Amino acid sequence: MTAVTTTPPPRLPVRDKAEARDRAWGGVSPMLTRLAAERATGVLVRERGTLHLAEGRVVHAESPAAPGLGALLTAHGTLDADTWRQAADEATEPPGAGLLLVARGRLTRGALELCHLETLYDAAYFVLAPSSTPGRFRYTGPGRSGAVRAVTVAALEHETLRRRDLLHRIWPDPATDEAPLLRADTVALPGLTARQRAVLHLVDGVRTAPEIARAMGRPAFHTLVDVRRLAAAGVLVRGAPQPAAPAWPETTDPDITLLKRLRDALESL
Amino acid sequence: MPGIDECLLEVMQLPGARGAALVDWTSGLALGIAGESPGGDYETAAAEAAELARLAAEHRAFAPDDDITDPPVEDVIISNRDSYHVLCFVQTSFDSSVFLHLWLARVEGNLALARIRLGEMTGRLVLG
Repeated sequence: MTAVTTTPPPRLPVRDKAEARDRAWGGVSPMLTRLAAERATGVLVRERGTLHLAEGRVVHAESPAAPGLGALLTAHGTLDADTWRQAADEATEPPGAGLLLVARGRLTRGALELCHLETLYDAAYFVLAPSSTPGRFRYTGPGRSGAVRAVTVAALEHETLRRRDLLHRIWPDPATDEAPLLRADTVALPGLTARQRAVLHLVDGVRTAPEIARAMGRPAFHTLVDVRRLAAAGVLVRGAPQPAAPAWPETTDPDITLLKRLRDALESL
Repeated sequence: MPGIDECLLEVMQLPGARGAALVDWTSGLALGIAGESPGGDYETAAAEAAELARLAAEHRAFAPDDDITDPPVEDVIISNRDSYHVLCFVQTSFDSSVFLHLWLARVEGNLALARIRLGEMTGRLVLG
């Protein structure tokens, strides 16, 4: 018997540190690098979200594309929605709400730190995406709500670049990252993992990958990893109308659809 | 109540422990590290261990018959001439893909003890 499986994902990338040092400013945002150097405290507002800094280190990140701490903790019943909302109302930011819940014994310190770091790196991936408008920084005084764990700007930028590499190596076409997703007409569904099936279950032609992530209470980047793998396997396609391809007859021949997907991927390189 | 660093320091108290890391197997990110890193570079070690963990967690062949837990695998154990590696999956009540990687010197280490204690310590980390 021939087992059909999805394309195995490529090796997780490790960025060449020497190469990063050689680059002019070694990061993704010169402004952020400068703020880190001057140990600034405040909020950096970029096109796709915000980074909160305390003495030059990142203590919190938010992006509309990434589910927050509350979404992660309430989606599977770790906390009930009311408990979270009550804490969120009392604190200025989600990490502060998390600390309140730890103090009240509703959450372990380890669970909070784990979710906090996952959501921070997740949101920062989108906040630090290339943007068309310059970022703005608002200095704030010290004494904001407590930080769960701070991450250095260098570590955050390094991880963000590594994550871009990872997605690119899985499937170089970002078309499925933000568009509504549709199941492709596949002849034989390849062997899917439980986590991929959970993603595919929510694909309905309307939801986008970030919306699926929010519904699952899973980091958006983690969802993108599975979405790109499913796109690479030909299980998923972008649902929004594609720009009309002139003189290309519609076909469902698997060889031709594979060639077309390859062409699209090559064009997006 | 232990945080990630306290948990890793406790893991490092195990006899023969050389290094420990809490790693996300989807992204390959090390969320915390303690002690030495196998191969000398923690980022490479985390990425390589994450690949192995992901394979173990995703393939049906390694799951129990009643595949209802996520991930279906409890741990992955590797032995070589001088050391053991134990990758212990962390079961959480929220969606996650995290494991604890313990690098254990073979002469001083006790694999059976380490495996049991890792399960207890990861449980305390997230469940209290």
